[in-house]
Amino acid sequence: MRPEDALCGPNADPTLFARISELVATSESLDEILKYIIEEAVIACNADRGFLAIADHDRGELDVRYTAGSGWTEETRIDRLKVSEETGRGITSHVAATAMPYMSPNVLEDPYYRMYFEDVRSELAVPLVDGHKRTLGVINIESTQLNAFGEGHECTVVGLAHLGTIALTVSELRAREAAIVQIGKELNALPEMNMILQKVVEVAAEALKFEDCSLFLLDRASGKLVLRASRGVLGKRVGEASYEVGEGLTGWTGEQQLPVRLQNPLNDPRWRGRFEEMPAKEIGAFMAVPINSPSGIMGVLRVQRRKSPYKWFPNDFTEEDERVLATIAVQLGIALDNARLLDQLVRTERMAAWGEMSARSAHMIGNRVFAIKGDVNEMEYLLGSSNLNIAEAMQLSESIKKGIFLLEEILNEFREFVKATQLDTEDVDINELVKQSVDEGFPKRSQTHVKFRLGKNLPSIQADSKKLMRCFCELMENSVNFMPDGGEIKVCTCIAEPSSRKWLRPGQQSGKYIQVKFEDKGPGVDSELKPKIFDPFYTSRAKGMGLGLSIVKGIVEAHNGVIFESGKPGKGAKFTILLPYDEPIRELTGK
Amino acid sequence: MCRVLVIDDEEAVRQVVRRRLERDGYSVDTADSQESGVEAIKGHHPPYDIVVTDMSMETPTSGLEVLQSALSADVFTEVVVLTAYGNVANAVECMKRGAFDYVEKNIPGVDVFEVLSIKIGQALDRRRSSLATLRKIEQYSNPK
Repeated sequence: MRPEDALCGPNADPTLFARISELVATSESLDEILKYIIEEAVIACNADRGFLAIADHDRGELDVRYTAGSGWTEETRIDRLKVSEETGRGITSHVAATAMPYMSPNVLEDPYYRMYFEDVRSELAVPLVDGHKRTLGVINIESTQLNAFGEGHECTVVGLAHLGTIALTVSELRAREAAIVQIGKELNALPEMNMILQKVVEVAAEALKFEDCSLFLLDRASGKLVLRASRGVLGKRVGEASYEVGEGLTGWTGEQQLPVRLQNPLNDPRWRGRFEEMPAKEIGAFMAVPINSPSGIMGVLRVQRRKSPYKWFPNDFTEEDERVLATIAVQLGIALDNARLLDQLVRTERMAAWGEMSARSAHMIGNRVFAIKGDVNEMEYLLGSSNLNIAEAMQLSESIKKGIFLLEEILNEFREFVKATQLDTEDVDINELVKQSVDEGFPKRSQTHVKFRLGKNLPSIQADSKKLMRCFCELMENSVNFMPDGGEIKVCTCIAEPSSRKWLRPGQQSGKYIQVKFEDKGPGVDSELKPKIFDPFYTSRAKGMGLGLSIVKGIVEAHNGVIFESGKPGKGAKFTILLPYDEPIRELTGK
Repeated sequence: MCRVLVIDDEEAVRQVVRRRLERDGYSVDTADSQESGVEAIKGHHPPYDIVVTDMSMETPTSGLEVLQSALSADVFTEVVVLTAYGNVANAVECMKRGAFDYVEKNIPGVDVFEVLSIKIGQALDRRRSSLATLRKIEQYSNPK
């Protein structure tokens, strides 16, 4: 019998499949589609009530998600049905387990029936089964009449179940696509590699229904595959758990640069079981893909699934799962390679700065030592003379002290320059930090005053508060020094303005940033000096070595941020700092 | 009295060199840059007997510029170049072009001020002998 035949009775609705197919084709809301399907199934079969339950493969349970007809309460709606083939556990569970439709003309005599509503007499249940023969859900309709459903009804509901399966599959694919896109974006943003790795693992596990996911990266120094991110119990062993290349399934993937996809991995001769996300005997399926880059193997991305306690819910990985994981691995490979290159670039810049730094500091320290040495010579001469001139000796001693002070100042800057890139990060409220910097670092007796314009509800950032405070103080101190007759410094915080984003480096473009801006009404920075002001030893003040702004730049860059000056020469200086912030992962799964 | 010009962009260095040279009995002027040093050389009559200049000021070869203007003001002015640690190549170049000598500012364990004092004494001797020779030549070529 064809589904159409069922529609010949008093409730015949020739447009039923056309309407639902159209909704499946056009709606992006899974809830809307499935709700519509169960409502229409109840009407088409002249049933009194019905529900659509969705399978949860992790728990081996069915969730009653969509209901139609009379008699539903919150309590019955949230009921979960354990899936079981055994008798007495409910017809729906039975259908989920067997993946076959089931019709019960008289439930009171049915061995599988379990009572939820007292008035039910007959029932029809049809599974939603996908291409991998997995049960995704069950449509169940009920009637208070005996023998209410016939083959025609069954065909109609089977047709509706197919449409429901299509909707569920499309939704799952969309979630996968969204996850892959999000992972791509996260990887592009690059605020802090370790954080991103952890997020990639989480997004992959959540959205792609990999129960657990771990990332091993090749450590060039030791030549081992070291755990860099994981969800679940292995999370505590990040940085410590490692495989030799070639050791175990994970090491094999790393060595051969080939994917592995297995059911019951314990039976495989390559299995070592050194670091697992769950007790070995619970592992039902294992999959690992290599992460390659143009410069060779970079690591292994691996996922595992628990053995399903319900043999009706197979838990192995599909070819499609492998493709998804491989796609993520490719993205990871590119991102890791980019990160490595960026790191090299920053390091090279820093090395160049170091080179100049040592030459310049040798010169400056040399001069100071020369002067101190001369003063000591003069002091000795004075002490050796017959009538000691105390005032002159004191003057020399002052000069020596000053020389030593200048040396210490150089030493201090040296230390800060070195330490600029070593951060001790915590959650920081940028507005609080700005206010604190003004409180603690701003010269109290200054004629200059500070005006705040602080953005509301700004996200917190991961930052080294002491070092950032040092940056803010340095910038304000500069402003004060360049406005000897007093004036105003304007400090603004907000989410990065679009006009500021052009200053980001190529690898930073897709990240999210907050912005801190310091504006003054001093002389500003001449156009031709602008490119130089952040260079080490560039100074227009005779203090230390002129490392001030280069230290500020070093600190900002260590936070993966950017600093730039964009004031109009003659009209005042305008320094802007962009600092990345992190957003919690968006919920991607349909759960 | 013998006239010395000390050129260095570091205040502390100028002060300490001046102090030492004044103790040795010289009349000392100072200048704080290549530019003001060249100005001082041009504007000083009679010319300075000795010019002590830092090698690296506005540019790494500032000393060479000072040397050139000192010699063009008076070819017998003796120039002693001060160099910072590790910058000897430029100082040697100065000597090739007629500087009297160079003194490294930082030599561990060496009293560079004593060295400087001796060098300036020697430079002055050479200037005196040069000038005496010149006078003799003038006497021979223009006998009265």
